[in-house]
Amino acid sequence: MEDDYYSIDSILSENQKIQCTFKVDIPDMGHLDGGHERDIKAQSKIQLPLWLAFILIYSDYVDFAVPTPFSSRVRNALNAEAKSVRLSALVGAGGHWYGFGKIIMRLLDDAQANEMSDLLTKTFRDRLAEVIDQAQHFAALGPAGGGGQSGDSALAFREGLEVTERELFSLAQESAKKTKQWYESTDRLRR
Amino acid sequence: MALPVSLRNSITPPELELVASEELVEIIPLISIERTAFISGAYGPLRPPNKAKLPLWIAMNLKMKKKCHIVPPDWLSVDFLQNRLAQETSRPEFSEFPFRFAEIAKLLLDVASDDIQNSDKVRSLLKDIREARQAKSRDGLQKIDHSELGLPNLCSMEINEIRPFFVRAMGVLTHLTRDPEASSRRLDV
Repeated sequence: MEDDYYSIDSILSENQKIQCTFKVDIPDMGHLDGGHERDIKAQSKIQLPLWLAFILIYSDYVDFAVPTPFSSRVRNALNAEAKSVRLSALVGAGGHWYGFGKIIMRLLDDAQANEMSDLLTKTFRDRLAEVIDQAQHFAALGPAGGGGQSGDSALAFREGLEVTERELFSLAQESAKKTKQWYESTDRLRR
Repeated sequence: MALPVSLRNSITPPELELVASEELVEIIPLISIERTAFISGAYGPLRPPNKAKLPLWIAMNLKMKKKCHIVPPDWLSVDFLQNRLAQETSRPEFSEFPFRFAEIAKLLLDVASDDIQNSDKVRSLLKDIREARQAKSRDGLQKIDHSELGLPNLCSMEINEIRPFFVRAMGVLTHLTRDPEASSRRLDV
């Protein structure tokens, strides 16, 4: 999530590809697309990783479309019930949905960026309580492990957790576990 | 960093317990000891049957050697806790407790349960209160935003439990919330 140079998560978020349309001819660069063309022609559509697209968009060489993980279909699903969307399945490679969204947000103009920010924060907040609840539930189970009564929807939710949410899950689980251990430990043996 | 991951996010419950054992409690000594100097100050003299105030750790040490009775604090009684539990379940805000009540209550119940009246009832009341308060801090999670969070009357052990993920969640929200100045600054470049 951070912009830190050494942050692996940040690098992975920037590795997502978005669909770009070139506005100008780029001579002698056709091989970058893997094709046999000599030049990249204007109006050709190419999937570019964000780290490359970022600078091209700013230099006004290309146009881009808001990528599918943030399409209106996904937005509608998130508005209906944020908890039943599998965020990790929307983006490949570990699922840096929030990180991806954050970079896209910077590329958009003000109105769209605000909308994107609202979408991201609302989704995060809607899902947070469920993440923490489940983490505490698993912390309470102890080393014997999970399974049993937790239903299919809970399982599906866990599988759909985004990278950032997974991190929160383990933080919450760890601290709930430690606190529980402390409450259950006893000093009576010292007597 | 050489510190293990589990210790980086926040301090551990046993460490909090250690901090709490510096708090003063009243005891009824069963032996007499002259006034003794410690790093944190001088305590005593102990003259049975006069009450004396000592740090919790000394009191526990004496108690384990059966050389004193500990006078439980006012709030560690069935009446008080029942009252607070009623408050806790009927009102939306956290009710008031001593900051380190969870640690002190546990230490006293472990070591000096015979000095506390009706200690089993006290124990179960504390558990109920803890659960009621946990439910509240869980509800608070939905109102979390990137800039501030006020949780008045939350106690050290509770803060410590929620600290790692509350801090992280607020950090994430900071990244996801759009800073209106950021876009104009970027365009200047």
